[in-house]
Amino acid sequence: MSRQLGDGHRRFLQTMMGVYIIDELKAKALYQYCCETFKMQCAADRLDEFIETINLKLQPMFMQVRKGMSEENGHQYYALVNTAETDITRMTSDYADNELELFRKTMDLIVGSEKGTASSTDILNSTDTMTSKKLKKSETEHLLTRLVQDKWLCEKRGEYTLSTRCIIEMEPYIRSMYQDQVKMCHICHNVAFQCQICENPSCGIKIHNPCVARYFKGKMEPQCPACDDFWPHEIPEVRGLRSQSKK
Amino acid sequence: GKEKASQLFYEGSAFDPTAFAEHLLSFMGLNRLEDEEDDHQNEATRDGYLPKDAWHRLAKHTEGCFSTAPSFHYMMGSFHAEPPPPKQRVE
Amino acid sequence: TSQVQRGLEKLTPAQVDQKTAEVVQYFLMKDQKKIPVRRADLVKYVVKDYRTIYPEIIKRAARTFEQVFGLKLVEIDPKHHMYILVNNLETATSRAAPVECPTNPKMGLLFVILSVIFMKGGTVKENLIWNTLKKLRVDPGQKHEEFGDVKKVVTDEFVRQKYLEYLRIPHTEPVEYEFRWGPRADAEVSKARILEFMGKLHEQDPRSWTQQYREAHATQNSS
Ligand SMILES: [Zn+2]
Ligand SMILES: [Zn+2]
Repeated sequence: MSRQLGDGHRRFLQTMMGVYIIDELKAKALYQYCCETFKMQCAADRLDEFIETINLKLQPMFMQVRKGMSEENGHQYYALVNTAETDITRMTSDYADNELELFRKTMDLIVGSEKGTASSTDILNSTDTMTSKKLKKSETEHLLTRLVQDKWLCEKRGEYTLSTRCIIEMEPYIRSMYQDQVKMCHICHNVAFQCQICENPSCGIKIHNPCVARYFKGKMEPQCPACDDFWPHEIPEVRGLRSQSKK
Repeated sequence: GKEKASQLFYEGSAFDPTAFAEHLLSFMGLNRLEDEEDDHQNEATRDGYLPKDAWHRLAKHTEGCFSTAPSFHYMMGSFHAEPPPPKQRVE
Repeated sequence: TSQVQRGLEKLTPAQVDQKTAEVVQYFLMKDQKKIPVRRADLVKYVVKDYRTIYPEIIKRAARTFEQVFGLKLVEIDPKHHMYILVNNLETATSRAAPVECPTNPKMGLLFVILSVIFMKGGTVKENLIWNTLKKLRVDPGQKHEEFGDVKKVVTDEFVRQKYLEYLRIPHTEPVEYEFRWGPRADAEVSKARILEFMGKLHEQDPRSWTQQYREAHATQNSS
């Protein structure tokens, strides 16, 4: 099915280029807006089909509008991502080489940590082992601010985590580069950083916090879905069902 | 009044950059320190300060003048894929 | 063109598609900072061995930009073969979009400069620009908290992006410079819309700036 795109598709794509990532509810509103503005047919449940039409055309350019879950609130998001690394994609100049090196080191720290976080102190310390031009303290702090602004990292009280945008775009990369360290969520099978871990040492599966909330909702005696051991963690509430009301 | 207006129309009115700047300051939400200093001849334009989002505001409102292409930004693919160094356990 | 034909015959459609995709990627990557693409660089870094079919590849890339992204590939300098991307979709719509793209405050700065140049007939001495900016609390001699080194942004960044031309006025002592619109501004900025905004700002009919009004509407129709 190689349908032609209309201006509505193009407006949707252009908006995605500008905003990088949007939640499902906003994506639906944008879809509706694009259809109405450009007089296209619009059916409320056809968003994914609409995006698939765009993706078919983006595929040759190694681009994609990809869907993924926020580890924080469990909502679905859409992000426009690059899907391949080539000589050309590496020419990008949003960040300098040493800034990219530090971003990678930050990813190493986050992925390698128990809680999926890295403290600003650890990140600052990791500049000691940089092979490209070493970043000064103030430069590192400035870079971290930019990475948060550009939605590659999230920050809470000096602790950095990978953002939803980052996880959506980098998931295949993380899976292949950190094979030995990264674990998948037992429920949704995506990479898991902000999660709970089964305390049975022979099991140790991970479940995202929002996936925990949804999976154990209303269960009196929560048991690990893999080993049946008692699930000892506090079960979080299912959060803000603004858009996920259908399931 | 009407005659003058049509004459103005015929010859075209002149553009005054100083008046333009004054209008822009008001548009961008200048907080004047002195109250009601309205004459733009006065070089007291140094007084007052612009709010933090002043230039954002102007950019937003004049966006329609530009048909700028949005640009595509990404992280994946901007550096060589490389597995992390083996982890040393220091705990 | 027969050379292009022969070149195409030696390649599989997949190879041509692949090369076109690379050219599109290269344009998108360069456009991150609004730097125009030179044909020489495009050939050197991307097209490489496919240079015999260059016209065909650029044609296909232009088609992709139009059909997939709603963008237009414009050659802004036919002599040095420089290209930029501009938006092909109507920017002003009746209803506000539910999702707003973040705006770059530098575009506000650029708007002021382009407006003054346009309203003053197309060429202005640099002092007029600096003085106007100073009134707006932007001093080219000082570090601005939003723009940093203002003089650099205006005379270097905007110039490299081809929004502005910054030219030495001949035979002046001491040396003086003047500003003009660059070819990117010509391709990307609507004079009619600027005038409309001017009208609102000054509470004045845009048609009262006769000269500018005529120019804005003449160029609109021709392009
Ligand atoms: Zn999960
Ligand atoms: Zn278990």
